[in-house]
Amino acid sequence: MKRFVAVIAAVMFASVAFPAASMAADAYPSKPITAVVPMAAGGSSDLLARAIEKFWPKYSKQPMAVVNKPGGGGVVGTEGVVRSKPDGYTLYLGYGSGHDVVMPSLQKMPYDPLKDLVPVSRVSIHSVVIVTGAKSEFNSIKDIVAWSKKEGKPVTTAVSVKAGAVDLALTAFGKVAGINIVTVPFSGGAEATTALAGGHLMIGGGHPSEIIPHIKAGRFKALAVALPQRDPTLPDVPTLRELGFDVATWGSIKGVAAPAGTPKEVVTYIDDNIKKICNDPEFLKLMASLNQPVLYLGSDDFGKFMKQATADYAKLIKDLKITID
Amino acid sequence: MDIFSGLISGFSIALTPINLLFAFLGALVGTAIGVLPGLGPAATIALLLPAIYVIDAPVTAIILMAGIFYGSMYGGSTTSILLNLPGEAASVVTCIDGYQMALKGRAGAALGIAAIASFVAGTIGIVGMTLFAPKIAGFALSFGPPEKFSLAVVGLLMAVTLSGASVVKGLVMMALGLLLASVGLDPISGKTRFSFGVIELQSGFDFVTLAMGVFGLGEIFYGLESAVKTEIVTTKVGQVWPTMKDWVASRMAILRGTLVGFFIGIIPGGGAVISSLVSYAVEKRVSKRPEEFGQGAIEGVAGPEAANNAASSSSFIPLLTLGIPGNASIAMIFAALLIKGITPGPFLIVEHPDVFWGVIASMYIGNVMLLVLNLPLVGLWAQLLRVPFGIMAPVIILFTAIGSYSIQGQAFDIYSLVGFGLFGYLLRKLKFEPGAMVLAFVLGPMVEGSMRQSLLMSGGSFSIFVTRPISLALIGLFAVLAISQSAVTLRKRFRTTT
Repeated sequence: MKRFVAVIAAVMFASVAFPAASMAADAYPSKPITAVVPMAAGGSSDLLARAIEKFWPKYSKQPMAVVNKPGGGGVVGTEGVVRSKPDGYTLYLGYGSGHDVVMPSLQKMPYDPLKDLVPVSRVSIHSVVIVTGAKSEFNSIKDIVAWSKKEGKPVTTAVSVKAGAVDLALTAFGKVAGINIVTVPFSGGAEATTALAGGHLMIGGGHPSEIIPHIKAGRFKALAVALPQRDPTLPDVPTLRELGFDVATWGSIKGVAAPAGTPKEVVTYIDDNIKKICNDPEFLKLMASLNQPVLYLGSDDFGKFMKQATADYAKLIKDLKITID
Repeated sequence: MDIFSGLISGFSIALTPINLLFAFLGALVGTAIGVLPGLGPAATIALLLPAIYVIDAPVTAIILMAGIFYGSMYGGSTTSILLNLPGEAASVVTCIDGYQMALKGRAGAALGIAAIASFVAGTIGIVGMTLFAPKIAGFALSFGPPEKFSLAVVGLLMAVTLSGASVVKGLVMMALGLLLASVGLDPISGKTRFSFGVIELQSGFDFVTLAMGVFGLGEIFYGLESAVKTEIVTTKVGQVWPTMKDWVASRMAILRGTLVGFFIGIIPGGGAVISSLVSYAVEKRVSKRPEEFGQGAIEGVAGPEAANNAASSSSFIPLLTLGIPGNASIAMIFAALLIKGITPGPFLIVEHPDVFWGVIASMYIGNVMLLVLNLPLVGLWAQLLRVPFGIMAPVIILFTAIGSYSIQGQAFDIYSLVGFGLFGYLLRKLKFEPGAMVLAFVLGPMVEGSMRQSLLMSGGSFSIFVTRPISLALIGLFAVLAISQSAVTLRKRFRTTT
């Protein structure tokens, strides 16, 4: 009970946002850390954040409090982090999502995801799985392509947000397959999968953590994965490349970032703790139950990977002449 | 496990001291959240989510979260009735007649009937959930973008009819609400609209800030110049227990509100708001004295309060049976379940019967606790009205300012709060009803988002709204309501001219 009260008190304090100046002299971290998730609660990024939030106090003397700031496909919350003080008390959880690696190639951003943020650690990659409802007449990717070509009709698709990783993977697939894919954006993965489960759209895309429970419940059929290799959480599902469609994306990368200018030792401290968490057997167990693969990378390697992924997406978008209106 | 033995085992879990304690704690915290303007259930559950790490049993954690959620629906009526301050969208409707009752010295009766209606509807909602949950869950899924659009449009019509006397004024208010809702990010393309380069406007206006400003501060600014307020505080609070006449007037309203709320609550998105709106419109329509609505009709409090509580119970149905969260608060509970290693969905009843039945049983107990907790407090809350205006006004301004600041932690929201307050004052002077504007603000994103999603699905053809049965039925309902409404208006005009 005492611990319970203490946790509530700590969280309350965190939300009041104490002035930092008076505490600057203390060693980092001297107060709770705020981790901003720029997505809605209950989605795959949020679940990952909550899992880290749970294990963080095991390795750090100060707790981490997750705050959801959804809106604008993630831009609003991320911009808030970019503009906050680079003191290590405001972090971005979910770095590498669609609005960081896809959107910059499609539209003007209020910040530069590569320059205005410091990569801290990569935690996971959420691949894009293409699915259809269990009652759908489609049983494979080839069925979809054949149907669309024969009927000359567009294939309606549920995607979590406009210009996110799921939207791009499906649009790219449509271009390569030579069929018209109409992506219908929702506000988050949960809403998109709900609409697909209701049979309101022909196919859909999502991350394994959102999709696997529906597959297990017999509501969805998984058709393909858009990663270069098979997803460890869905070993039986072929990649688009295996099926003869040369499309591969990095899905949605999920890492931790801090505002540019955050001191090196602070970045190292957070990265070390995230690494310990990623090796914690209990954490691995929880992540497996959430259907999220743990794919840790340290600060420097993650930075290189982010540059690579952003360049790959930019090339894909250029090659396929994808634009948003 | 059949329903009966499931429920028995559920009660054996819910009645353990630790679970009783956490159900009580949840109900208590929830009520406090409902009473404090500006603190919403979703934000509070998010804030308290870390608490579940230290609670070992998943069922105990979920009992706490659920208690906070339905408790806040209970408490939400208090400030609506006493101070014209809705803390959340579903309580806007309660302001209309609840506050009028308080002005007439019947605050006690309004608070009493709100608590009783909440209890009855909450309990019936849970019974319905116990009996039919898996069967009706599929119904929720049949609401796709076109159905949601049609439903939201019916909601808008209801919002306009709330404006009372003048339909034109109602339409103006609705248009303003929709316009305010469109500030911020385009729901489909993610581009910014009407932000005029102001960063804070990129995420749009906040509902709580808007509602507290227009209703609460507007009321205070109005009170500053008139003597009305000083009269209220000297009049007596009135009897807490509803009179026999109140009972007769309310009991059917409570039952109708419960039914409306239960079914609308199952549909993902906007459940509690639309259900309280629909319930209010239904009550006004079936009433023999519709002219009393807006002047302090007790059915106008009983029906909507019942509806939003029934909706909050039934919104658990898609979560527990399909694993689909229908609103922000339920999404937080969804995340809490997942963190505890439990995947909500069709297998929940089979794999974790203790959680499923334990939570349901705790909701029966929690509702009784809320009633016991709230009825004695009604008199106490109502005493607030005796506090002199000169003390009350600054306290309210302080609380609403803290509330709006705490949502996003930016000073900009305090400025917009004051701006909306001045606007609310102006509306009162010009005799416009702000309810329609505030509700249109809530429904706006749903109307726009689902319409554009539907049109993407149909390749731009509007026929999608009339070729799908549920959507067609809702559009039909809209037409019938609109025509009957104009007939009533025309007849009135005809009578007054002859």
